[in-house]
Amino acid sequence: MYRYLIRRLFWAGVMFIAVTIVSYIIFFLVPAEPARLICGAQCPPDQVERVRKEVGLDDPVYTQYLRFLGGLLPVGIHPVSAKTPSLGNSYATRQPVNEIIKEAAPVTASLVIGGAVLWMLVALPLGILSALRPRSLLDRAGMVFVLIGISAHPVWIGLLLIYFVGYKAGLTPLGGYCDMVNPSTDCGGPIDWAHALILPWITFAVLFAALYVRMIRANVLEAMNEDYVRTARAKGAPEWLVMRSHVLRNAMLPVVTMLGMDIGLALGGAVFTETVFGLPGLGKRALEALEGFDLPAVMGIVVFATVCVIVFNLIVDLLYAVIDPRIRLS
Amino acid sequence: MSEAGGMNGGSGNDLLVVEDLKKHFPVTRGILFQRQVASVKAVDGVSFTVKSGETLGVVGESGCGKSTMARCVMRLLDPTGGRITFEGRDITNLSRADMRPIRREMMMIFQDPYASLNGRKRVGFIVAEALEVHKMGTDAEIKRRVQELLEVVGLNPEHYNRFPHEFSGGQRQRIGVARALAVNPKLIVCDEPVSALDVSVQAQILNLLKDLQREFGLTYVFIAHDLNVVRHISDRVMVMYLGKVAEIADRNQVYTEPKHPYTGALLSAVPIPNPELGRQRKPIVLQGDVPSPLNPPAACNFHPRCPRFQEGHCDVEPPPLYSFGDGHRAACHYPLEHWPLSEEEMRRPSAAPQSAPPPAEPAEAPTSS
Amino acid sequence: MALLEVNDLRTHFRTDDGIVKAVDGVSFSVDKGKTLGIVGESGCGKSVTCLTIMGLNPSRNTISSGEALFKGENLLTMPKKQLRDIRGNDIAMIFQDPMTSLNPVHTIGRQLVEAIKLHRDVSSRNARARVLELLKAVGIPRAERRVDDYPHQFSGGMRQRVMIAMSLINDPDLLIADEPTTALDVTTQAQILELMNRLQSEFGSAIIIITHDLGVVAETADDVVVMYAARVVERAPVDNLFKRPHMPYTWGLLGSLPRLDADMERLTQIPGQPPSLLNPPRGCRFHPRCPYVMNVCKETEPELRPISDQPGHLQACHLDEQTKDREAAKLVALAETG
Repeated sequence: MYRYLIRRLFWAGVMFIAVTIVSYIIFFLVPAEPARLICGAQCPPDQVERVRKEVGLDDPVYTQYLRFLGGLLPVGIHPVSAKTPSLGNSYATRQPVNEIIKEAAPVTASLVIGGAVLWMLVALPLGILSALRPRSLLDRAGMVFVLIGISAHPVWIGLLLIYFVGYKAGLTPLGGYCDMVNPSTDCGGPIDWAHALILPWITFAVLFAALYVRMIRANVLEAMNEDYVRTARAKGAPEWLVMRSHVLRNAMLPVVTMLGMDIGLALGGAVFTETVFGLPGLGKRALEALEGFDLPAVMGIVVFATVCVIVFNLIVDLLYAVIDPRIRLS
Repeated sequence: MSEAGGMNGGSGNDLLVVEDLKKHFPVTRGILFQRQVASVKAVDGVSFTVKSGETLGVVGESGCGKSTMARCVMRLLDPTGGRITFEGRDITNLSRADMRPIRREMMMIFQDPYASLNGRKRVGFIVAEALEVHKMGTDAEIKRRVQELLEVVGLNPEHYNRFPHEFSGGQRQRIGVARALAVNPKLIVCDEPVSALDVSVQAQILNLLKDLQREFGLTYVFIAHDLNVVRHISDRVMVMYLGKVAEIADRNQVYTEPKHPYTGALLSAVPIPNPELGRQRKPIVLQGDVPSPLNPPAACNFHPRCPRFQEGHCDVEPPPLYSFGDGHRAACHYPLEHWPLSEEEMRRPSAAPQSAPPPAEPAEAPTSS
Repeated sequence: MALLEVNDLRTHFRTDDGIVKAVDGVSFSVDKGKTLGIVGESGCGKSVTCLTIMGLNPSRNTISSGEALFKGENLLTMPKKQLRDIRGNDIAMIFQDPMTSLNPVHTIGRQLVEAIKLHRDVSSRNARARVLELLKAVGIPRAERRVDDYPHQFSGGMRQRVMIAMSLINDPDLLIADEPTTALDVTTQAQILELMNRLQSEFGSAIIIITHDLGVVAETADDVVVMYAARVVERAPVDNLFKRPHMPYTWGLLGSLPRLDADMERLTQIPGQPPSLLNPPRGCRFHPRCPYVMNVCKETEPELRPISDQPGHLQACHLDEQTKDREAAKLVALAETG
């Protein structure tokens, strides 16, 4: 087990380095001049030059990259001392990237986790019921929902919801974010938080709900045809017990994997939903940073997203080992 | 009645000679760098000879290495050690290019007729493929040859353009046979060719294989786990256990005077479709399962399950392939005295252990320089 | 009264291509403590027959009729709850593939305990004791330690032992074994067959053994039912079937068998393929493949009726008895002289 964990962590590290290097290289291939953007449009050339020196943009790419990596270490090198890992400062606002992420990550996390709960609440019963009665009315209705959910773009769904539910019916705010813990000026607290997020949750969850209904249905159908399910019936087990103890547990194994990976991926930013609803999450921030060639901010979000994916993959693997004895022992 | 053994065996010259064949699969472990920690000895020192025109049956239970052995002989796997001589030529280490002309002399028929045929190719193409690879004739000639082959194996030549899924299991196995026959091979290695088929269809394929052998003078290495099938088709039989040869002899010798206790156990375990006879005999039931080839038992690898196991001998000294005359060899220190044996006789070997080293028989000397 | 009496059982599956008559008028009976063998090739309906008796066919798309009287009560029409109480308790079943018949995510102990607790109100401790007792009875070494292992930690033969232990745990009156040894090696098969024999004398259960292997039938069964294309074509005590088979399909099966106890240069093969059950041939279903086919065979389906001097031996063939006796004697002689 430890052996396995060490190996996984090693590969996670390799993956991390690879992702950040590729991001760096792509950034420097783009013909843009970050120093001019930092300095502003009216900046005289010598001023731009000074800014470039100041920020270290005149160093070779690998020096810049190593500096970036050095910032991530919890230990300083000159002089050797403990320090907080830093992602550097934004070119555009001079704000520490650590803070940008600290502000944006809870927004995205609220959106993704709430959305995941919502999509599982829809997908589990719908997927299981349509597997139990294939070709029934419910199954057909479920398939229509799946088709719509997969083909409809989240921006379109979001705009529809804003127009009908938010604007026409006036049931929810049209956009924006309310902090759950620290009430700011106009709104705050758990109720406002949830109220403002209802539409984003729905928008974000539709696609995943559709994908998961389809996956859960297929898995349950497959598990119901397993020989051991027939064995359980032959033992005289009532249908609910067959479902609970033999079908669902096995059918959910792959769902757990997918769920972990999808959440990990989405935590890096749900660009469309955040943009439509004006949520100051990681996806929106990443978009802004890209437009402004704000390398430290982009890198910070890339690093955060990569870590999320890696961590959730690891969690999934460990969880899998717990729920599937075949993995545990080999 | 049947004198198949005398008819074909013995007279021909050695088509295939396998000496001390070994195939070990490495087991690796490591955090960053994989290092070999053990090996699965799938085939571990197998020697045999197949004469031109005869059928060598290979029996054994799953995991005994019979299929791996066949794939090594076909050079689909690279052997770890030993020597394979085909038509007097050492092919053990031939390169791909050097193997190519030899490939058309030896073909293979597989167990699962469904999985071994490409479902997206038409039957004509499947059968013709080897002909085209070896550039044997013009397109028209190849087409004529394929139709001829389909007829030979009992299929309608007009079904040239059909796909494998349009055929039943037995017909698909016929396609497999036609494909193997296409390039006029000398040797056909059949790996469980009838295991997936129902008895009536199995009989059709076995008859077909026998007819083709007579007609074209084919040589077969026939691998199966079903002792009835092997007995029916073979001139000589080799019994394998955990990657080694337990016994090899003429078909009749193996089935009427088995020497190795494992052969005896196999024979007595086969249910016979004759209730009266069945009630008279009592199977020798072996204890336990076949051990893992990852960690095979020491010395005689059958000793933990053997009813005549003698402590201090069988688990210490590996038995060589003792000779019992007429090319009958068995790797047992305490061979069966006669057959059938009562349970009591099975458990208590009467004779003293075989001790003399096996007399060297030049034709089948297991060692090679 | 027979323990199980099956009368004119029919199971039809609705499919996109039409109705597949997987079982089409099958009758037989099993007595207490006896073993019935059902033989036939793949797709002849032998497994579906038993799944129908157990009520294990998928309920959608399946139409069953006829009756399966277990101790006088019809399993096909009784309420689901009552059938569930019988399943696993009075009638147990073993399946072909021991590798897939146990749930991979539960320990075998848990799966066996479940089998007891579904039918008996016992404490967990007593249930576990019973599980250990059964695991020892079927020859699982170190049962106390292995009871908490998962199925993948057992070999195929051991898993089939676990399945047998599970089926016997509630002392059933009838055990249905669907190809119990087909997936196993021959020496393991011998172990399992011996175990089933021993346990039958110990527990006194009746057994239905479904197999394609005539050797297995000869060694285990008291009576044999031969099925072809969803119907019973011959039914006889085991000695009779092998000594005086009375149906050309049975001859074909016996003749196409390579065997240890006889020499045959060529096997008698049955030409052609079994028919599609979507659209079986008119008249006798075997007539397109039968070497003795007569005009009547193509029109009228033969009834399953007893041989004149053997009321217990039923067969469905239009051929006259002299011819059948002559051909059967030839076949048996061929097998015995070898």
